Amino acid sequence: MSLPDAQVNKNRSGGAGAAVQRLGRFLSGMIMPNIGAFIAWGLITAFFIPTGWTPNEGFAELVGPMITYLLPLLIGYTGGKMIHDTRGGVIGAIVTMGVIVGSDVPMFLGAMIVGPAAAWLLKQFDKAIEGKVKAGFEMLIDNFSIGILGMLLAMLGKLIIGPVVQQLVEWAGDGVQFLVDNSLLPLASIIVEPAKVLFLNNAINHGVFTTLGTVEAEETGKSILFMIESNPGPGLGILAAFLFFGPKMLRASVPGAMIIHFFGGIHEIYFPYILMKPKLIAAAIAGGMAGVLTGVIFNNGLVAPPSPGSIFAWATFTPRGEYVTMFLQVFIAAAVAFVVGFFLLKFDKELRQEAKEEAEAEARGEHIAA
Amino acid sequence: MPSVNGSAVKKVIVACDAGMGSSVMVASTLKGKLKKYGVDVSHTPVNELPGDEGVVVLCHQGLAARAQQTAPNAVVVPFAIFMGDPAFTKVEKAIANGEDLES
Repeated sequence: MSLPDAQVNKNRSGGAGAAVQRLGRFLSGMIMPNIGAFIAWGLITAFFIPTGWTPNEGFAELVGPMITYLLPLLIGYTGGKMIHDTRGGVIGAIVTMGVIVGSDVPMFLGAMIVGPAAAWLLKQFDKAIEGKVKAGFEMLIDNFSIGILGMLLAMLGKLIIGPVVQQLVEWAGDGVQFLVDNSLLPLASIIVEPAKVLFLNNAINHGVFTTLGTVEAEETGKSILFMIESNPGPGLGILAAFLFFGPKMLRASVPGAMIIHFFGGIHEIYFPYILMKPKLIAAAIAGGMAGVLTGVIFNNGLVAPPSPGSIFAWATFTPRGEYVTMFLQVFIAAAVAFVVGFFLLKFDKELRQEAKEEAEAEARGEHIAA
Repeated sequence: MPSVNGSAVKKVIVACDAGMGSSVMVASTLKGKLKKYGVDVSHTPVNELPGDEGVVVLCHQGLAARAQQTAPNAVVVPFAIFMGDPAFTKVEKAIANGEDLES
């Protein structure tokens, strides 16, 4: 048995799959370049708020303005820039300011809507006047087109879009609260884990959980939503199952993958192992659900989005005094994923065949080629 | 189907969804291996791949369809696992021995 040639399988995905990935990439693409700012905000919060490690009133003043203004503006800028380069970024930020002022909750979702939309409108305007501007007037037109369109859209954002999005964010928050209150949150893993493996991990985590979780963390100091997709436990459990019971030719690569996954936080590294034995997705789901359930039971949460999903990022953003239950959540997720993975691999037809042939060969005293 | 001879390859781009995680990791391991042939290795989000000819793109098979859409003229070589995949050896061999690569 040799490694499958990826070239043969390359046409499997495409069409709808690629379109969904593309949409997901569009959402996460606005957040991910700005994760560093989220982390700076998270560190400041973890250290300086009254319940933090080293409470400091002066530095804690940074927390509010950063989440209200800095983070949404960065998202709006990045979203605009994706559509229409720096000009798009600038108008995206202007209009994001409108929705920020027009609402009372952090406007991540609003920024993700108006940033690209404003940039798209500016792009249409720029296209319409292309080549029609008299020489020497380009700069005047360029600056005032952003200025005037930006002003109008910011007013629209303040009056209409901000309040509407605020309502949407509140409904979404109520929905999440309902899931938490009724212990239904673990069901999220049924969608999240398979989507992760299809390379929608960033879309789900940053498109949905980072956005909603940050709003919750601002109110309550922490959010369990940060712990649903980014838990390194299930992946670790699955890799461990592969290490002991997986196909022989894959085992050698597993220890390195475990280190990169668990400490480096690059979850992509375990997706291929699941894609090769797709039924292992059941182990990921079971591990994910067990982890979330543990988190719900102990009322766990993280202060800021841990990205990448490394155990170090988790430890950094764990509230003071909640380390034991945080590690328990990771450990239980890993253990459950490992046990389910063990059974799935143990009773895998192909693998049993492989083991049988090996045993026979050994019985005949033949040398076994690796 | 775009194809390129290994000896003409000057640039190998590793792509992943965000261009920040797994692609960076794969690129940094390949960089060392391909340096001696004067081949530059970089990483990027799969949606921002340049459409140039003669570029070799490595990405996970789950993203290959998107990579080829974004960069129709590039040679897209998909791989299945992030460490020790035969695709990496194939690209390195093609560059070392001047063999043809195609998507």
